Amino acid sequence: MLDVGRHPNIELLAYTEVEKVEGEAENFKVTLRRKARYVEEDRCTGCGACAEKCPTAVPDAFNEGLGYRSAIYSYFAQGIPSTHTIDPDHCRQLNGKKCGICAKTCQAEAINFEQKDRIIELNVGAIIIAAGYDIFDPSLIPEYRYREIANVVTAIEFERLLSASGPTGGHMDRPSDRAVEAEIEALEKKAKKSQKALDKLEKKFDEPSAAFYRKYQAGEYKDDEDRKKWADKYAAHLTVTEPLEELKKKAEAFTVAKRLAFIQCVGSRDFRFYPFCSGYCCMHSIKEAMIAQEHVPETTSTIFGMDIRAVGKGFEEYKIRGGNNSNITYVRGRVAEITEGPDNNPVVIYEDTRERKVKRQEFDMVVLATACAPIKGIAGLAKTLGIELDNYNFIKTSPLSPVDTTTPGIFVCGCAESPMDVPESVAQASSAAERAAEIAFQPELEKEKAVA
Amino acid sequence: MSKDILVIGGGIAGMQSSLDLADMGIKVHLIEKLPSIGGKMAQLDKTFPTNDCAI
Repeated sequence: MLDVGRHPNIELLAYTEVEKVEGEAENFKVTLRRKARYVEEDRCTGCGACAEKCPTAVPDAFNEGLGYRSAIYSYFAQGIPSTHTIDPDHCRQLNGKKCGICAKTCQAEAINFEQKDRIIELNVGAIIIAAGYDIFDPSLIPEYRYREIANVVTAIEFERLLSASGPTGGHMDRPSDRAVEAEIEALEKKAKKSQKALDKLEKKFDEPSAAFYRKYQAGEYKDDEDRKKWADKYAAHLTVTEPLEELKKKAEAFTVAKRLAFIQCVGSRDFRFYPFCSGYCCMHSIKEAMIAQEHVPETTSTIFGMDIRAVGKGFEEYKIRGGNNSNITYVRGRVAEITEGPDNNPVVIYEDTRERKVKRQEFDMVVLATACAPIKGIAGLAKTLGIELDNYNFIKTSPLSPVDTTTPGIFVCGCAESPMDVPESVAQASSAAERAAEIAFQPELEKEKAVA
Repeated sequence: MSKDILVIGGGIAGMQSSLDLADMGIKVHLIEKLPSIGGKMAQLDKTFPTNDCAI
């Protein structure tokens, strides 16, 4: 990533989209829209002082909404470029409210609320599409109750929980427990505020609130207006502190998730959604189970799948190593339903096809191995570029020229073409680069491409 | 003089294509719709089958 940002031959245009493409191979005229960041790229040093002071909290897309960022933000900590961006949907200043704290904080004077989108025109010989993929939305599968049961998460959400730079600092804190902790924090803030008001009254009447309240309830101070206000305030304070104490007691029992279930083929190999195999998810689940067990050695994982597809160099060995060393059990069977048991524990109902028995098993957390879906907006991009898509909305290629789109001079690599893992994406990317280089260097070669 | 190349998408595939082309001495314009490059791979903690760090 760093190399891309530094390479003298790469002009990096982040926060930019394609508007229009005209021309043909060897001579495309491309119009790009560089979206306004409201931060001057040549001034921002990426120090992050603005983000620290920004008063607005927005769910963080990089952390799959499991954490928060401010309205002025860097997409993630090591992001390239490190230039910060103001989110125009959430920034107070850009929505007509009084703020501008970031502009006051920024020593580089990089904030520019007047910045506009810029149109850039380029002439290029060839185009490579590496638009990527989207994660299948598992809430479309009602029996898995994603979003209804807090401790059912997607593989990419689990990835963020595993990450040391993620919202939990790499601890397997369960989403239901994190929600309770967030509630405790909110109630503590409220209690602190009402306690402050009570402190003043206690000082004024020289008596602790609790002792006064007992007397008040016993019938003393009937006609004393000031004391009535005090009693009301104390009663309101109790409605905050009593549930707070209960939640705190509950939170004492919280531990990290140690019994994990991974459900394969969520959206893929499913005729209701995508009939294809997404390819990488089996290995992804094994990896997540391994890393979780590295974090907490007593962690056990059960991977539920029709079959584990470990096709690739070193993959089968990896799967076996997971079973032998990382407490992973592979169960052959498709999960029928997930329900919620006591303590927000998801309960998985499945058929163990080896034993031909329907079973139920309780876990701390369930991870859904979601399908690789075509990226949103690909139809628009394909139309702009004048290329064809296949019947799933991946970019159409043919087996003997797997990185060539239907338009000469436009190539594709990675998951925009079809689901694939990292090593395959890298191999295809180099292949697409080579095809594009043929045009860049010797356009005459392109006219008669030999097919083996 | 070689012609420039446009790469759409700054994930692992787009970054690899760009670096390969740039190393060949070709000028590359890499565009990414999000504020930073990295794509889905930057969200991964480790990668299989070696458990290497993704970033």
